[in-house]
Amino acid sequence: MADKQQQVVVKRARHKSSVKDPGTPGVLKMTKDRFTFMANDPSSPVKLNVEFRTIKGHKFTKDGTKQALLNLTQDQGGNYIFEFENFPDRNVCKDFVASAIALSGEAGRTVPEKSAVPIQDEQLSAAEMERRIKLLQEDSDLQKLHKQFVIGGILSEAEFWATRKKLLEQNYSRRPKQRVALKNDMWSTKPLADGQSNRVTFNLTPEIILQIFAEKPAVRQAYLNFVPNKMTEKEFWTKYSRAEYLHSTKNVIAAAAEAAEDEELAVFLKQDDMLVNEARKKIRQVDPTLDMEADEGDDYMHLPIQDHGLPRNDNKDVLDSQYEPYRRSFSQHLNQHAAVVLQGRVIDVELGDTRSVAEALARTKHAELAKDASDVYLDKERLERISRMTEIEDLQAPRDPAVAPLSIKDPRDYFDSQQANAFSTLGDTVSGAKQLKCSVSTREAYCSLKECISEIKFQGLTEPTINSEVAFKVLNGLAQNISSNKYHLGRNPNESILDSLPKITREELLLHWSSIQELLKHFWSSYPITTKYLLTKATKLKDAMSQIYPKLQEIKESVQSDLRHQVSLLVQPMLQALDAAFAHYDADVQNRSARSGERPNGF
Amino acid sequence: MKFQIEDVTVYFPYDNIYPEQYAYMVELKRALDAKGHCLLEMPTGTGKTIALLSLITSYALSKPSNPIKFIYCTRTVHEMEKTLSELKLLHNYQLQHLGPAAKILALGLSSRKNLCINPTVVSAENRDSVDAACRKLTASWVRELAAENPRIPTCSFFENYEKSASEAILPPGVYTLQDLRAYGKLKGWCPYFLARHMVQLANVVVYSYQYLLDPKVAGIISKEMQRESVVVFDEAHNIDNVCIEALSVSVRMQTLEGATRNINRMSQEIDRFKATDAGRLRAEYNRLVEGLALRGDLPASDAWLANPALPNDILKEAVPGNIRRAEHFLSVLRRLVQYIRGRLQTENVEKEGPVAFVASVNTQAGIDQKMLRFCYDRLHSLMLTLEISDTDEFLHIQTICDFATLVGTYTRGFSIIIEPFDERMPHIPDPVLQLCCHDASLAIKPVFERFQSVVITSGTLSPIDLYPRLLNFNPVVSRSFTMSLTRDCICPMVLTRGSDQLPVSTKYDLRSDPGVEKNYGKLLLEMVSVVPDGIVCFFVSYSYMDGIVNSWHETGLLKEIMQHKLVFIETQDVVETTLALDNYRKACDCGRGAVFFSVARGKVAEGIDFDRHYGRLVIMFGVPFQYTLSRILLARLEYLRDTFQIKEGDFLTFDALRQAAQCVGRVIRSKADYGMMIFADKRYSRHDKRSKLPGWILSHLRDAHLNLSTDMAAHIAREGIKEEGSQMIIKVAVLDLSIACDST
Repeated sequence: MADKQQQVVVKRARHKSSVKDPGTPGVLKMTKDRFTFMANDPSSPVKLNVEFRTIKGHKFTKDGTKQALLNLTQDQGGNYIFEFENFPDRNVCKDFVASAIALSGEAGRTVPEKSAVPIQDEQLSAAEMERRIKLLQEDSDLQKLHKQFVIGGILSEAEFWATRKKLLEQNYSRRPKQRVALKNDMWSTKPLADGQSNRVTFNLTPEIILQIFAEKPAVRQAYLNFVPNKMTEKEFWTKYSRAEYLHSTKNVIAAAAEAAEDEELAVFLKQDDMLVNEARKKIRQVDPTLDMEADEGDDYMHLPIQDHGLPRNDNKDVLDSQYEPYRRSFSQHLNQHAAVVLQGRVIDVELGDTRSVAEALARTKHAELAKDASDVYLDKERLERISRMTEIEDLQAPRDPAVAPLSIKDPRDYFDSQQANAFSTLGDTVSGAKQLKCSVSTREAYCSLKECISEIKFQGLTEPTINSEVAFKVLNGLAQNISSNKYHLGRNPNESILDSLPKITREELLLHWSSIQELLKHFWSSYPITTKYLLTKATKLKDAMSQIYPKLQEIKESVQSDLRHQVSLLVQPMLQALDAAFAHYDADVQNRSARSGERPNGF
Repeated sequence: MKFQIEDVTVYFPYDNIYPEQYAYMVELKRALDAKGHCLLEMPTGTGKTIALLSLITSYALSKPSNPIKFIYCTRTVHEMEKTLSELKLLHNYQLQHLGPAAKILALGLSSRKNLCINPTVVSAENRDSVDAACRKLTASWVRELAAENPRIPTCSFFENYEKSASEAILPPGVYTLQDLRAYGKLKGWCPYFLARHMVQLANVVVYSYQYLLDPKVAGIISKEMQRESVVVFDEAHNIDNVCIEALSVSVRMQTLEGATRNINRMSQEIDRFKATDAGRLRAEYNRLVEGLALRGDLPASDAWLANPALPNDILKEAVPGNIRRAEHFLSVLRRLVQYIRGRLQTENVEKEGPVAFVASVNTQAGIDQKMLRFCYDRLHSLMLTLEISDTDEFLHIQTICDFATLVGTYTRGFSIIIEPFDERMPHIPDPVLQLCCHDASLAIKPVFERFQSVVITSGTLSPIDLYPRLLNFNPVVSRSFTMSLTRDCICPMVLTRGSDQLPVSTKYDLRSDPGVEKNYGKLLLEMVSVVPDGIVCFFVSYSYMDGIVNSWHETGLLKEIMQHKLVFIETQDVVETTLALDNYRKACDCGRGAVFFSVARGKVAEGIDFDRHYGRLVIMFGVPFQYTLSRILLARLEYLRDTFQIKEGDFLTFDALRQAAQCVGRVIRSKADYGMMIFADKRYSRHDKRSKLPGWILSHLRDAHLNLSTDMAAHIAREGIKEEGSQMIIKVAVLDLSIACDST
């Protein structure tokens, strides 16, 4: 980001050969791909001109420490140490260097560095930088915040990311995206028959086609083979529907007869060989405590009564082995369907294009099977699971339950629910006030009315009189609007006040909300103030917040009157939070000044 | 924790122990001290397995001078894996406290199919083809040939194992099947033969029931186990059925056709040998004259399944003269096959005893009882002589010889039933000849005789006095434990009426009533909308399940159910069922929630746990009676009535309710767990049926829950879930909050 704003950075600094070295004063100039150092004394031998490509990392001292140092490490092992006059100068350079290294890293190097990191200094490897850049690219809200505060100079790069360590870590292990699951709905092959003709209609939508492809790999393969060379898409699906219809009639012999005449149709009617092969591969992955296939291997009794008196039904259908491939059981379909739904949406392809859907599915399946063969990790996990399963939990000391972290993607939901809370508390106070009024006696009411009238008599009316009917209408409308909002809120999760606002206002509000959050987070984390650095930080943050404050007021006033109430309700908690921060800041400053009288150094 | 039971220090890997676990250990210890057999019933969900393991291993550790071997039999391979991983936990704990003195060798044993690591062999489809593929590479004659001709493939793992000879041993530790495979790969040794060898030396062996009960397998694997062993049959509620199956054979038309093909092939081989290597056949003849059915010391790789008859009943005599010559033996087989084919042509159901059958074979085919008895060993010898390694092709003739040997050996406790067609589909001819054993005590008798302590244990052995009668033994300890509970972690209910207040049942006359099907569907629909995570449903048979699921699909009920949860279903294809189960667990793990449709008496009901969130509710649709029209069952009932004075009705009810209890017991594994159980059939409300349920279910069955309709059951479920889950929900909510705070 920084390099877009500033192409060149020039600062005064001292070059040091080691930390103890007093150093040579001079000017450090940084451009996008290299940095140069010229000593003030032209006779000095120190003169640097180094490309960032050769720099693999940078270290720096913490703000507020004795020296403002920046240490650039070269990949041959050498390093360049610069001391700056103050920390802001150093930080500008540091941030510039970070992005410059990242840029050159992207261009050239692939191997991230792993050098020992001193405790005091933070080192940014190229990989780390890349990750940050990627995060910024993925999340536009984050990017906005980054632009606003880091580049705006309110927060430093390190401060900004320090609060997002978790995000960085999570991202490291590639969090999967949330995806919409498949519908758990079997495509029932119930054909729509209109009573008059002998015609039967099937309805196919892209969603159903995806489901068919996922559940029946043979159909998918057939589609890839036949369409469009051998037949058109329409012909293909007609044929498929014909096969489904034959299955639904449960007439095995008829199905076999038709398949004998038409080899393409036979593909749909026969049992799915690909599924069988897949099953054979998958069976090696299952938990051995479930593996019933292994029992089969131990069974030395070839007997019809294996299941202890359970009548066997498979033997009765020995009518003809030639029809065997055409028999298909509903239970098989049921299991396959549930397995596919469980696996979820494995592909990320637009549903309209049938061919690309089929291809993508085939690809993922292939990759999956190839991966399975050599997965040692899975094996280990399986063993762990077994050992966990064998333990009797309540005889054992308690262990932490396995929980998955919550993943709240949309902070707006959270925001809205806060609003709902605000509404309900508001409602409470209103009703409370009403009660108060109810207990007012007629005499008191008369007195207050008299007071008002006498006041008007004394001052005269400042506003023009309004027709009572109009006034009533306006009041009624307002009241209804508010109460209807109150009623709807929280009932329907898809409709929120935010959605009813104009787009610009909404985005502005959200932006302010997130930036206030960010600022407040940093603000409160800098208390208690123990160093000068924290003090300047807090001041800076307070200034930034006070800039936002009037903007919020502006928004409140800019919206149309009928929405103003809601917007003010939205803005209210933000303002309150800001006010609290200001109050704390002021109190702290007063404390500090009172104390600084006693202690000259201020701490 | 470490504690003392009389003179034994027990090492128990947990910090706490349930009182019933302690009581269980005390009883078990007494039985071991008395060197007698015992029968123990303890509810599921009380840590039976770990109590057993820790007592017996501790008992062995306390008597180092006279180490006992521990043979643990499980119903299924996955239970074997579970047991071994519990043993691993225990072993680690014992090592921590006792140091190297606690070192033991424990391993699981299974077939080649589950242990082989040779990629070309293990890719074969079923057990028989894996066995055959292995033999093709490891049979002694193949290896002899390969020594001369390097182009003949052998198995490098087996060769390496043979080369290292006595060095090939497993270091102490606990080995699951997977560990065995991994170790084999590491060392380049064949895990199957290594395990077979180590079984003799191991302290703990875990394997399937069949390795002790089926004489064919036991004869080669469990032959040399010492008498000072403790044998445990876990989940033994079906042990009588396993015993019966071990001695039963059935022959169909396909078997006969296959057997004829096998005989032709063998006669070709004989002709070939006569032309090339006549000495070999003569050598076999001489060996048989000397009375040795088999070549003395067979190499391990040549060992084949042993004689199907029990060891005490095998004749120690020379093979009769008239089947010593290979051609003569083949002609006897041919006549036998011909005779059975003739019997299968019958129009009516026939039932006769072994004596009558043998007499009729003798008169019509000229094969006497002694010849029949030797069939199996004679065939074995012939196949070795002919160097046949593709044994999977010869299954049919093996079945015939198996049948001949059994029918020639036993005169009582068996019957032969010939049915020309299946009772339910009279228009499709499907003749079958079944030799069925009725007496469960036959197969288990040698086990009781050979080993000093046999422990039979399960969650459901009610009524506990019936098992000693069925298995014909005298236990020194016979006890049933109840569950001690601080809270109600199970909630059984009996549902008798649907939402329309009409009775629901799977009784024959109501079974296909659409009203009942609809009521069952409505019940499930109510429950899926109330109960979180996993729900398991058990039906009485595959055909009933298929029927009702199809009808739910047609009426749209299934669609509504699927809006709440994913639906998985057990099929007769084990691969598919396993994958469905795996997905079911995934769906429960990720919070999606799922329903699993399964069959009582099926493979899932037998061995898969639906504990914790994998099963918050189990619904038993109907009473899982056996198929009562089956001739085999009728014959068995008759036998039970005549010999043990057990009434037919009592036995059927006992059998149905042990299955139902077994099904619903799957939902609970520990006391921290909770689960609801619905028995959906009006017949459960009758006292004579219900009282056969195990005590730990009955004690939680409140009177108010005995006669519910769908809406009442849904109400109870809703309240129950709220109450039981509240602790958990609070815990999760607190965590959610803290996470939310972190992320903002």
